[in-house]
Amino acid sequence: MANISIGPLRWQAEPSRVEIRQSGESVRSYYQVTAPRDVSSMCKGRPVEELPRILSILSASHHLASAVTLDNLFGVTPPPTAKNIRDALVQSLTFIHHARKLLFLLSSSQNPFGLRAELAVRAGTSPVAHHVLDEIGHAMALAQEAASILGGRHPHPLTAVAGGVSRPVKEIHYRRLAEIAESSLPYALRLRDIFREKIIGSGNGLYELMDLTVSPIASITFSGVEDAIVLTGADGSGSTTFTANKTTDTLEALREPWTHLPFVHVKGKTWQGPISDQSEGLFFVGPLARLNRCKPARTPQAEEERLHLVNSLGPAPHFSAIAAYWSLVVEIIQASEIMKDLCTEEKLTGLEVRTIASNPGGQHAHGALEAPEGFIYHHYQVDERGIVDDVTVLDAASENNALRCLLTQKMVEDAFEHGKPWDRAKKTIELSLLPF
Amino acid sequence: MTRKNVAVFTATGCKACENAILDIHYQVSSLARWAHFTFWPYVLGSSWEDLEKSDELDVCFFAGAIRTASDEEAALKLRQKSKILVAFGACAAFGGMPGLSNLHPGGESALCKSPSDDDCPELPPLRSRVAALQQIVQADYILPGCSPPQNYIWAILQSLVCQSESAARISFAASRLPQPIAQAVMAGVLPPGGSIFAGEKAVCASCARIKEEKRFESFKRIHQIDPDPGRCLLEQGLLCQGIATREGCGGLCTGAGVPCRGCFGKAGAVFDPGAKMVSAVSSTFDTTDGEEMKKIAEEFVDLAGTFYRYTMPAQCALLQNRKELK
Amino acid sequence: MNVFEPRIITFLCNWCTYVAADAAGVSRLTQKTNTRVVRVFCSGMVDPSYVIKAFAEGADGVLVGGCHPGDCHYIAGNMKAWRRSFLLKKLLNELGVEDERFRLEWIAASEPHKYAKVVNEMSEGLRSLGSFRSSYSCPSQTPRDHEKAVQSSPFS
Ligand code: SF4
Ligand code: SF4
Ligand code: SF4
Ligand code: FES
Repeated sequence: MANISIGPLRWQAEPSRVEIRQSGESVRSYYQVTAPRDVSSMCKGRPVEELPRILSILSASHHLASAVTLDNLFGVTPPPTAKNIRDALVQSLTFIHHARKLLFLLSSSQNPFGLRAELAVRAGTSPVAHHVLDEIGHAMALAQEAASILGGRHPHPLTAVAGGVSRPVKEIHYRRLAEIAESSLPYALRLRDIFREKIIGSGNGLYELMDLTVSPIASITFSGVEDAIVLTGADGSGSTTFTANKTTDTLEALREPWTHLPFVHVKGKTWQGPISDQSEGLFFVGPLARLNRCKPARTPQAEEERLHLVNSLGPAPHFSAIAAYWSLVVEIIQASEIMKDLCTEEKLTGLEVRTIASNPGGQHAHGALEAPEGFIYHHYQVDERGIVDDVTVLDAASENNALRCLLTQKMVEDAFEHGKPWDRAKKTIELSLLPF
Repeated sequence: MTRKNVAVFTATGCKACENAILDIHYQVSSLARWAHFTFWPYVLGSSWEDLEKSDELDVCFFAGAIRTASDEEAALKLRQKSKILVAFGACAAFGGMPGLSNLHPGGESALCKSPSDDDCPELPPLRSRVAALQQIVQADYILPGCSPPQNYIWAILQSLVCQSESAARISFAASRLPQPIAQAVMAGVLPPGGSIFAGEKAVCASCARIKEEKRFESFKRIHQIDPDPGRCLLEQGLLCQGIATREGCGGLCTGAGVPCRGCFGKAGAVFDPGAKMVSAVSSTFDTTDGEEMKKIAEEFVDLAGTFYRYTMPAQCALLQNRKELK
Repeated sequence: MNVFEPRIITFLCNWCTYVAADAAGVSRLTQKTNTRVVRVFCSGMVDPSYVIKAFAEGADGVLVGGCHPGDCHYIAGNMKAWRRSFLLKKLLNELGVEDERFRLEWIAASEPHKYAKVVNEMSEGLRSLGSFRSSYSCPSQTPRDHEKAVQSSPFS
């Protein structure tokens, strides 16, 4: 019987570590999030209109999801310009979110802040040249500039309010956005080339490493077009849909005593705990989940990349880390293309960006959003003065929690079987969790 | 010149502060000439053993509030190991939004489930009250904001890490800092201990909105009105905290059409942000009739959660001294 | 016997309530001497931060005394105090300070009896409410207790 603890894990938004309990031939891992987010004590008692700013602590997209929930609470529809501004913000957040993960992947075997000279002598892995990392960094900086124009601040945006956004995009800002949109597509395509060269065709070990796959599990996405949440079966078929207000009837969160992050799973289906892939209630969200819906990408070049993926890895659904990373590439191209499309004068400018609620608002409301990191959902219960009594927030971390545990267990078992040193196992775990 | 050993760590908060360091135009890699990142779990995967083995740290940027026993432990370890410890961001500086839970003491018990079997690993115990870094160990400098704006991140990196030898953006870095800090940053010497990398006056001083000494008859909530773009939000009946908050962001929120919520902490001359806000807001009530005053006051909701949104643990005079309940 | 004696900080206007308090003291109208008097030139200058500070430093109650409406020597200082009192009460309330602990009263120089009544009422009320600090513990900051922290090391 031995206890091993590895952590803190790299690249995880939550402070997390892996605890391993080993006895005889069996090994059991715990992917453990060590600090509570405690959304409810931050939100309860607050005026409901403050939630977009407070919940942005979870991620920038929760700011938008919260605004959508407020739209529903007050029964207001944002004017088209406001919708475009919010959508453009989602696209720039997607770019940043995905590019950061790819940057982490590409620099995973080196210290991205090491001196160039040191990097050159390091043997074994082939480090990605600094100017390549710088290039990605530059593209992210541009996307960040776009996000701060659209959201008022980055990384915690401010502008999404009930019924639209708090201020119109000024002409000078609009021009800058158009410039950024123009230049981000070439960056996205460059990123695609780097990905193909350094990861897919490099033979530097990363590819094999990511060839790991979990057994098929269901996935959840939110389709804005159909205004419905889609649960796609593990084999890619048999999808069922439900509306946002049925979310808590369909999904449920479970707590385990050893982690602060709850496990979200499908209600009424079997649940055999976080490290069993036999549960029917298991699902995941995110870029790979979106890929597994087998729908064409929204834009031409992204669709081209998606087809390239399908040709190389086979038709979706996929459950491997490499497919997950690849779907980041597809979506980063898509985000740039949509951005270019959205950044036209008529779509982004205009003074009409907000609908003011004429009624005091209902007592509760739901809101769903397909965020860069996956489907997220908010539900607020308020009193007659609009003070929050209760909140439910589903975020990508808790929805993917079971998947993360599964992946971790797999890596740990593998390391145990092959007698791999734990620090190497840690790197593998980190790399396999990163794209989800 | 030898490179400085630098550490970056987040306790309980979000990763936006650390991402903000990455985000300084993604030029952190150019910092390699000055900085050797010795301990950075989020980006480099450093472990606590790595920290133990490493040499003394020159600068540690500590983000996030102190919520769990391991946060507390991390603060102690990093303090012991570092020559300079910086409270980075509103959470580390004042307790931040996680500190709102101090309004409901005892709530942490709901977050812990007792273990089902003896074998499963334990979670680090939760403190009954969230604390700012300063309340656990001495921090040498404070960089407020949620997350801190890029120019101050530059300023602090220039000043503490590069000793102002990097020509890049130095004037940008020094802009809007109080004179003693700006001079130190430019000259490459350490700013006075305890310096706050932000302005001195209140946000109102750099907010572009115009005050007309107007009064209001009723309080408004942000979803109820579309405020006039040029005029002070407070004078339009919205709670705006610019008047009690340290300047430095340049009125970021008010510029974006939403009121300030005080992520830079209280301004230099303010004793307690809530008290300052009570006096500022009440002075705009347009009445001399007691009943009417009462009526206007009753419209306000959640004063504590608004006035101390980012500062409950460290700057709420009434709550900050409450002892950890064991 | 150890009877709890509430500490009341009073901010009294120099032109009215302070005089009344003086007279009340001379004629021994107040029962207990558990008030600490701070003389101010007008109730309008009692900033909410003084009140909060008083509580933060261990007061069990705070009384602000000023001239009757219309009688303020600085025209509207007492109006200012009045306007602030509502939000201040609300904020104090949210932070766990009960309503009885803070009072704003108009007491003219000629009303020592009213002063005595207010103070006696307040002391009674606070005596049954108990000490404010008991719910607030001692003002020391979180201890920098290395030993304790090392013992419970989650890192090992
Ligand atoms: S200060 Fe803001 S950005 Fe920084 S850790 Fe706290 S919540 Fe996150
Ligand atoms: S109160 Fe707010 S809106 Fe008014 S001047 Fe100050 S910061 Fe600007
Ligand atoms: S306006 Fe206030 S809340 Fe907004 S960034 Fe500035 S200090 Fe922070
Ligand atoms: S002078 Fe007595 S209250 Fe103003």
